[in-house]
Amino acid sequence: MKRLLALLIVLLITTMLNVNAFAEAPKEQKQDVGSQPTEATVTLAVDKTKLTSGGKLNITGKAPAGKDVYIEVWAEETIRAARLDADPDPKTGKRPYIFYMTDDMPAFYRLIVPEKYKPVLEDAKAKGAKWSVSEVIKNTQAEAVYGYPAKIKIDRYQTTLWASIIGSRGTLLEPMDEKENKRRSMQLLKARFRSVGNVFSSNLKIEADGTFKASVELPANAAPGKYFVVAKVDKDIKSEPIVVENSVSFPSVYLPNAGRTVNVFWPFLLTAAITTFGVLMGAGGGFILNPILVMLGLPHTVVAGTVMPTVLFSQGTGIYNYSKIKFINWKLGVTLGLAMMAGGFIGPKLTELITLEQYKFLFGWILIILAALMFWQTTPKYLEKNKKEQAILKEFKKRAEEAAKKKEEGGK
Amino acid sequence: MKIEFWGQEFKVNLAIGIPGAFLIAIASSMFGFGGGPFMVPLMAVGLRLPMYVIVGSSLLAIFFNTLMGSFRHYGFGNFDLIFFLIMFPAAILGGYLGPKIAKRLNPVTVKRVACVGLLILALQLLGIF
Repeated sequence: MKRLLALLIVLLITTMLNVNAFAEAPKEQKQDVGSQPTEATVTLAVDKTKLTSGGKLNITGKAPAGKDVYIEVWAEETIRAARLDADPDPKTGKRPYIFYMTDDMPAFYRLIVPEKYKPVLEDAKAKGAKWSVSEVIKNTQAEAVYGYPAKIKIDRYQTTLWASIIGSRGTLLEPMDEKENKRRSMQLLKARFRSVGNVFSSNLKIEADGTFKASVELPANAAPGKYFVVAKVDKDIKSEPIVVENSVSFPSVYLPNAGRTVNVFWPFLLTAAITTFGVLMGAGGGFILNPILVMLGLPHTVVAGTVMPTVLFSQGTGIYNYSKIKFINWKLGVTLGLAMMAGGFIGPKLTELITLEQYKFLFGWILIILAALMFWQTTPKYLEKNKKEQAILKEFKKRAEEAAKKKEEGGK
Repeated sequence: MKIEFWGQEFKVNLAIGIPGAFLIAIASSMFGFGGGPFMVPLMAVGLRLPMYVIVGSSLLAIFFNTLMGSFRHYGFGNFDLIFFLIMFPAAILGGYLGPKIAKRLNPVTVKRVACVGLLILALQLLGIF
């Protein structure tokens, strides 16, 4: 009797423990089920867990037979993504002007869909700039498995023209519900990663028995740090995440705001060559450097915000040298300068609001105007006038320098 | 507004100067380029000032814009320090090499080459080329 009671107690405790495990860790429970032949688990393995400056990662695993498997890969490192929603409402025709922004976008994201959906991706690619993440997700039946970016924290601001003028992002609105957050995260994915191939891949072969093989290429410019790989059949049936570490070493460095790794020599040589040419043509290098950097894939906000301060120093020395010979009219410079300061207050806000397409379009036209100005400066009439002007400029400068010298000597 | 420069007096039409400078500054800080190539024609053609007045004063005006624009971009989190540290010495190097090479080249040829280059870049940005 005593023994029976003890057995009963042991049984009771084990059951209770099981219930506890059931309540606290649903993942473990799933594994328990998986050990029985219900086949509701996904196993996953990668060929390497350490990468240096990116590389190819081979992924293998097994899922329940006959089910579609999707693989999500994302970086722990995060970057910013932003988008202004100014598309007219299909019902009311009103433009919402809501600015969505997150600082939690993974620096790298890839959703690998089964091979059979390759045509969906091709279709999206054929659409050019008009492709949409949500459409691809819908057409590849990936709505249930699209997971990680759907949960990132996205802030949204109600923007107005006035708010933009005073340089504010607008009023911060209440957080979105889960569904809306998911929808907006898809738009931000596109805003940040631009092309279909930067978000999706169909490099995933599934066999009839449920084993699958996939590969993902981490580009050489990928962020360093941890990468997570998860295979999913649906929302609940998924593998445990596998962690892969990517390391980056000098001369490659990671640009945290731009969200990519670069070899320091390339931007250095590019900048040096372009600024040299900029001096030759009499316009700053930014006109050529910025579009090239943007076309190379850097975010236009970071390009504008980082190239601009590089000329501060040279402008400062220029002003100092001119002021030494009293070659600056302060009244004129400060008056126009204050107007420019007001412009400089507004401009950076607008950089944030516009899309890459708008940036390219506007910059394209600015360059055409600049090219026209330059052409005008090579016409014979202008050259003749300029020759005289330059001669006067030289003469004045000479006098100014002499005067400054004399004053200096007189002061001693 | 009347200004005096080395004993000469000039009239400045602020109705053109201020809106022009303001708009150039918006474009310049928005896209992150210097406003020089637009400010100089504005002051030469729009304000009818001679080049010797323009060179120094336009630089001062642009400096206001660059300073404000840089602060604003920094505030919005658009500034990448490491990227800056790579580009900054390169820009200084370019500023040192440029004038040395410039002496040996015909400025008109350089401008024409630049013209073609800018047009190609523009068409590429507009998705035509």
